Amino acid sequence: MDIARLLVKRLVLMSTVVVIATFLLSLLMWMLPGDPAQLLVPNGTEIIQKVIRHETGLDRGIFGYYWHWLSHMLTGDFGKYYLNGGYREVTEVLKRCLPPSLFLILYAQIVALTLAIPLGLISAYKEGSRFDRIASTVLFTSVSVPGFALALILSLIFAVQLGWVDPIGYESPFGDPWAHFKLMILPVTSLAVGLTSSYTRLLRTDVIATLKEDYVTMAASKGISNRRVLWKHVFRPSSTTLLTSAALNMGGLIGGTIIVETIFVIPGIGYEIAYSIGSRQVVAMQTLIALVSFAYVFFNTTVDLLTNITDPRTRERRV
Amino acid sequence: MSSLLKIDDMSVRFQTPRGNLKAVNNVSIELLAGESLGVVGESGSGKTVLSRATMGLLPGTATRTGTITYNGQDISNLPKDEVRELWGTGMAMIFQDPMTALNPVRRIGSQLTESLTVRLGMNKKDAKEKAIELLKRVRIPDPEAMLRKFPYQLSGGMRQRIMIAIAVSCEPELLFADEPTTALDVTVQAQVLELLTELRKEANMAMILVTHDLGVVAGHTDKIAVMYAGDVVEYAPTRQLFANMKMPYTEALLKSIPRLETPTGSRLPVIEGRLPDPTKNEPGCPFANRCPYVTDKCRAEKPPLTDGGNNHFYRCWFPIGGVK
Amino acid sequence: MSETSQLSTTDVIDTPVKVRRKRKRPLGFYFAATWIALIIFLAVFGWILPAPSWDTSFYDSLGVHPFHHSHILGTTLDGYDMFAGLVNGARLSVFVSLVSVTIGGAIGTFIGVTSAYFRGKIDMIVTMAFNVMLSIPNLVLSLALLSVLAYSDENHPATMSRRVGVLMLSLTIVIIPILGRIARGATLQWSSREFVLASKSMGTKNFTIIRKHILPNVAPAILAIGFLAIGSVIIVEGSLAILGIGVPGGASWGSMLANGRGNIAYSPWEVYLPAGAIALTVISCNWFGDYVRTSLDKRESKI
Repeated sequence: MDIARLLVKRLVLMSTVVVIATFLLSLLMWMLPGDPAQLLVPNGTEIIQKVIRHETGLDRGIFGYYWHWLSHMLTGDFGKYYLNGGYREVTEVLKRCLPPSLFLILYAQIVALTLAIPLGLISAYKEGSRFDRIASTVLFTSVSVPGFALALILSLIFAVQLGWVDPIGYESPFGDPWAHFKLMILPVTSLAVGLTSSYTRLLRTDVIATLKEDYVTMAASKGISNRRVLWKHVFRPSSTTLLTSAALNMGGLIGGTIIVETIFVIPGIGYEIAYSIGSRQVVAMQTLIALVSFAYVFFNTTVDLLTNITDPRTRERRV
Repeated sequence: MSSLLKIDDMSVRFQTPRGNLKAVNNVSIELLAGESLGVVGESGSGKTVLSRATMGLLPGTATRTGTITYNGQDISNLPKDEVRELWGTGMAMIFQDPMTALNPVRRIGSQLTESLTVRLGMNKKDAKEKAIELLKRVRIPDPEAMLRKFPYQLSGGMRQRIMIAIAVSCEPELLFADEPTTALDVTVQAQVLELLTELRKEANMAMILVTHDLGVVAGHTDKIAVMYAGDVVEYAPTRQLFANMKMPYTEALLKSIPRLETPTGSRLPVIEGRLPDPTKNEPGCPFANRCPYVTDKCRAEKPPLTDGGNNHFYRCWFPIGGVK
Repeated sequence: MSETSQLSTTDVIDTPVKVRRKRKRPLGFYFAATWIALIIFLAVFGWILPAPSWDTSFYDSLGVHPFHHSHILGTTLDGYDMFAGLVNGARLSVFVSLVSVTIGGAIGTFIGVTSAYFRGKIDMIVTMAFNVMLSIPNLVLSLALLSVLAYSDENHPATMSRRVGVLMLSLTIVIIPILGRIARGATLQWSSREFVLASKSMGTKNFTIIRKHILPNVAPAILAIGFLAIGSVIIVEGSLAILGIGVPGGASWGSMLANGRGNIAYSPWEVYLPAGAIALTVISCNWFGDYVRTSLDKRESKI
């Protein structure tokens, strides 16, 4: 059937992208001057290095290594961090570092969407009004403020100078929810400001276009309230771009949290990527970046497919 | 019969980057309950603005003056919320293009029952029953299945019937039909017009039919207002107008009706020349530049709306057939 | 088009638009232009200003507040002059971002335009390559590139110029797919226009068509996105510095910021000033780019 073929095509395309991206990462790592095994355990003995070389497939050439890594990835063996004298499974590290990142991203998305949807609807509905102009300027400015500058300044004001929250750290929500939320406020704000601006702008543009549609006038002529017209008739058809972009950001944000996690010392996946790169844990680095890239491509593809299947308008185009 | 709608001296202006645009000038029209009025003119003549302004569906850049009396109540200065109370239940509107006037992402059922549940306070079950009955009235086969469909699954004619069903769902007393057939095939056009007239007679509903096609209004209206450049230029009972045409413009419009033998593609009537710039205030008759019978007087002075007897009004210095 | 789909324009305004009131440039445009001009001025002529040397530490004035008589923007806790640092940082930021966006943009445009113009297998491969590169968040990509390219063992630290060179190279690689994709999209649009087909039918050489018909039309869009790209390059540079992998020693704004983070409680201006400079520059680039884009949209809509 039509949709099944589309699905297969997308899946093939998606896996190709991820495979090529990760292979390039291997190649990049291969280009590092010196022996990768020596990088992993700089102080290890010759025997340890040999074991590691064998364990990671580094002794089988670039293609052999890549195949080793890929086949192990697919069976759920994500490789190891090699520390002096020992190792940690990347899976273990992931179990620990995924939840903080996911909470961070989830909160940021919720905050951004909750603010952006009414803001976008109202400023589009009142296009050209003072409210719209002020909101547009403020949002356009804040979307340009680099996340790290915002994070540093927020932390300077609210944590260092006012002392309202702790400047760094992370607490699980299941242990101490209050501390969890308090620690999350600043990082979430840093991420959400940019997101809110871009979501509002996306939604505003689409809503302005939708408001000119006949079916909106038609809905208004039924005598229903403006609020109902906006929510029931304008929001849905205008929200495709917004939701697409929000879903895409689920993947993209995992990379984007690196800075925020570093500044606020949150042990998330971004922090781990930065750590693995800094400490030259190439195998772990490759795995982590592959996951981020996979997440991005996965959300990209899924959103594309979902809008294809659910939006009657794209069906109309296909018919 | 009692007066349902009385428009008195209504003007509409738009604020545009080029200045003040005069869309409708001092129009006065009266409509009795159950009566049908055709508003005819080229695109740009202000006929659509007239109907939308009467209902109060204007963009924020528009200003409307004059009084509108609906059922004996002056509605021209009512707050927006109270005007909205009339929409759907008192006055309803059918839009020109059924392809764009139905929400593409909502099912027919939800669009059709919306007025019923929100405006009439019906529960879901009653609303569904009523919706099926409405679909039957507009002759849609298998109405139950129709409720589950999306607009893209329907043809233009079907969509237009759905739109009519939505418009009449709350049994309005006055229906505005804005070019209801322009976007449809010729054969479907006739069916839709027939349907509108039938529904109107059944419920004693008044209708304002806006069109550029004099042929459309001929069999379906009681009286006709011809508009040109924002003015009503001829206003008469339908029979009277066709029997005793006064305005050169109306005559030109009649000549330009596309016939069946007219090749497809030439959709709009062609009258030589253009409408005058609606942002300028030029002296003389606005039609002077295009009128075959133009004289110096026409270019110098704008003719007033003249009463020609038999409820026939026209705006011309030298009407066809001479002044009585 | 339907005759009355948009009441305010189609049904009412039917006459051709002749006079259009001159649009006022937004205030933000002047602000952005001024700031960009100032930064470029500082980058080029900063050395003639009577400021202390940026890499000399003043041991008698550590952590001086801004608006001090000898250090106009104060000093860091280590005694480096902030103003001199910012001027020097401007030079590095402008240099790094301009060079990487120009080179990356040129390569990206070339690849994007040719692949979109000739279509076929090349286009498929190019699209795939762009998708691969875009699937890795640009900060992660430049981190990985830098960690490989700027590799140095502890005994022989990489020189400053090599680090800057490597930084520019990684940023260039990051820019290529971003601008390349824009160029590709724009070319696809333009190459199906009638005048291109007409030119083709007259036997004009492909590269002449690209040079004469495609590039002039694609270039403005690239330019607009290029400004946005400069903004994001500056952000990436700052982020890399904060992660401790960019240019060291307070030589760039990001690096000043990274050094100042530790002293945030004692001399907050070490964070405020470079963060402010970065933010203002990025905002200006975005405003400027947005202005270019919207004025292009208008040009397009007038055709």
